[in-house]
Amino acid sequence: MIKVKGERLKVIATLLLFSTMVFAQSNLTYDLKVGTTGENKLLKEFPESYAAEKVNIKVTGYGLQVTGERLAVSGIDSFDFIFADKAVETEGKFDSIYSYRDEGEVTWTVWRNNKAVKNRKQAVLRQNAYRAFEDYLVANTSVSSKSRGWIWWLFAGLALLGAAFYGGYILFQRRKEKDLPAVEQEMLRRKRMGNRRHYVSQLYLWLLLLVLYAPIALIAVFSFTKSKILGNWTGFSMDLYVNLFTGKADAGLNSAIMYTLIIALIAAVCSTILGTLAAIGIYNMRARARKTVSLLNSVPMINPDIITGISLFLLFVALGVSQGLATVCIAHVVFCTPYVVLSVLPRLSRMNPNTYEAALDLGATPAQALRMVMLPELWPGMLSGFILALTLSVDDFGVTFFTKGSGGLETLSTFIYSDARKGGLTPELRPLFTLILLVMLIALIVINIRKNKQEEK
Amino acid sequence: MSKILQIFSSRRTWAWPYLFLGLFVVLPLILVGVYAFTDIEGHFTIRNFVKFFHHSEAIQTFLYSVMIAVFNTAICLLIGYPAAYIMAQEDFKTPKVMAMLFILPMWINFLLRTVATVELFNMCGLPLGEGALLFGLCYDYLPFMIYPIYNTLQKMDNSLVEAAQDLGANRWTCFWKVIVPLSMPGVYSGIVMVFMPTVSTFAIAELLTHNNIKLFGSLIQDYITTTDLLNYGAVLSLVLLIIIGLTSFFGDHDADGEEKGGLV
Repeated sequence: MIKVKGERLKVIATLLLFSTMVFAQSNLTYDLKVGTTGENKLLKEFPESYAAEKVNIKVTGYGLQVTGERLAVSGIDSFDFIFADKAVETEGKFDSIYSYRDEGEVTWTVWRNNKAVKNRKQAVLRQNAYRAFEDYLVANTSVSSKSRGWIWWLFAGLALLGAAFYGGYILFQRRKEKDLPAVEQEMLRRKRMGNRRHYVSQLYLWLLLLVLYAPIALIAVFSFTKSKILGNWTGFSMDLYVNLFTGKADAGLNSAIMYTLIIALIAAVCSTILGTLAAIGIYNMRARARKTVSLLNSVPMINPDIITGISLFLLFVALGVSQGLATVCIAHVVFCTPYVVLSVLPRLSRMNPNTYEAALDLGATPAQALRMVMLPELWPGMLSGFILALTLSVDDFGVTFFTKGSGGLETLSTFIYSDARKGGLTPELRPLFTLILLVMLIALIVINIRKNKQEEK
Repeated sequence: MSKILQIFSSRRTWAWPYLFLGLFVVLPLILVGVYAFTDIEGHFTIRNFVKFFHHSEAIQTFLYSVMIAVFNTAICLLIGYPAAYIMAQEDFKTPKVMAMLFILPMWINFLLRTVATVELFNMCGLPLGEGALLFGLCYDYLPFMIYPIYNTLQKMDNSLVEAAQDLGANRWTCFWKVIVPLSMPGVYSGIVMVFMPTVSTFAIAELLTHNNIKLFGSLIQDYITTTDLLNYGAVLSLVLLIIIGLTSFFGDHDADGEEKGGLV
């Protein structure tokens, strides 16, 4: 038996080099200052905009920490307007200073409010205030130092050492092989080629997964610390989980969770009933009508959510319906039902069409026949349709966004959106989604195991 | 009473409630057209369209969005095809687990994933902007590309590949002349499933680029939520709708939703 060693080693060496690259990026240290000294001109010039007091911001690797007094802002009704890219932890309500850094340069980004202003004068005033604010931040920002941590050097050294050892090992092996007969050398070569292909493809998939899971892992890891900013580790803590379950989290988040569940349940139940009835109806239609309805059925699935959302929004506007919980529910039923229909239809085509007729002939009422003959056959399809509808509804953003109206109704998606626009993420979202991911993972594993068992039978 | 029962016992009528729901699908779409051709008082006008063709920002944004969508679809295809191909290989031992792993991130809210991506970029010291936008979009829609291709590749009759090999084709020829043409249905539906949501995307772009880059979806959102400009917003939606229609026509031959249904 000829074995080829070394391929596994190669994979490890590659991974080591990769992690070094990551470390090289994340271990740059910046010190930067944003601050004012003396009198604040801004306050004088734009009394109704905001006042910026002294603030020092230190950036180390990632995550911002504010020392000194907080930036006080007055005159603007909400913080929707100003924000750049990184939340800052402060004691006060204010959490909307951001910095955007790029190799020793700091750029402040100020997001402008796109809400309507009352008149032109106000708009000009606000515009000027923003510009002044931007100038002010840029003028008062400085980077003082930049350095690499010792871990970076350690990892770079390790990777180099590993690469050197690996190279030596390969050379050593090749020299040993030279003494073998030509046939065996050829066999070794082929085997090595096959192995290489295998490892390269495995590596490709795992690297892809690594990238795919990196942001999610970030959320999961930082759900165990209580810092307000994602990416700022302040020690292990289960506080966020506790907050989530004891209702200490943000009130907006709590109501968003509640509404998400309510809407999802209503939408899933309604669309399951409607979808099942419709599937039975479609199944018994003549070919042409069936084709038309199937086409109709596929429209909400093909349409991107923005189109579904906007068209329903226009419908509600045209009808003069005030938008809120009811309109969101209707909208969700609209885009969930087709999926239920699609999961029930295969079940119908698998069942014997005569059993229903037989039940009717034997004296059952249609309702009885439906309950006792059809439902037992259909329920797996209905169940998967129900679950599908539930997840689609929970996950939806586009349609909800356009049909929720302006009454303050928020679901999780829209809550995250407005949260992200304001700056950070409500910290309790991290444990929430870690838990959701965990539940999904377990559910999928269980389903897979059950499927495998069924296949074995 | 018996008459009502008779109507009810005809199972065809059971689709009626759904047809009613169809009103919520078809009527709104018609309304988009109606609003596009009317002014604020409800009179017929084509001024909105004229405005669109003179509105260079809108047209530029539109072209830019289409370009971004094309790029994203191409990147997804380039990255996703090899992944699907590897998973569909016969000697690949755990295709089911792998497929599951690729789909699992999609159960996390995409906005949250986007925010996490932004944080990741910050952590690695990478600048946000066009690159981040493409990364985020690709990250969000890659599973939509992998899954349909994987499905078709897996269902593909392997004896064709073996026949090609027996007839002397090398791996490369075999791949280009046999496997790729056979996987085209999956590629088509993958392209449709990635292109359509990307071209109409909103919300993600502003988060990934600090609001520096505006895509067509965000533009529509801006106009449609402003009462005075609702009709103009409808024109923009109509333009998007046409693009969507063209795209779904392109992928029509397998739009039976089989791949979509299989996603979950």
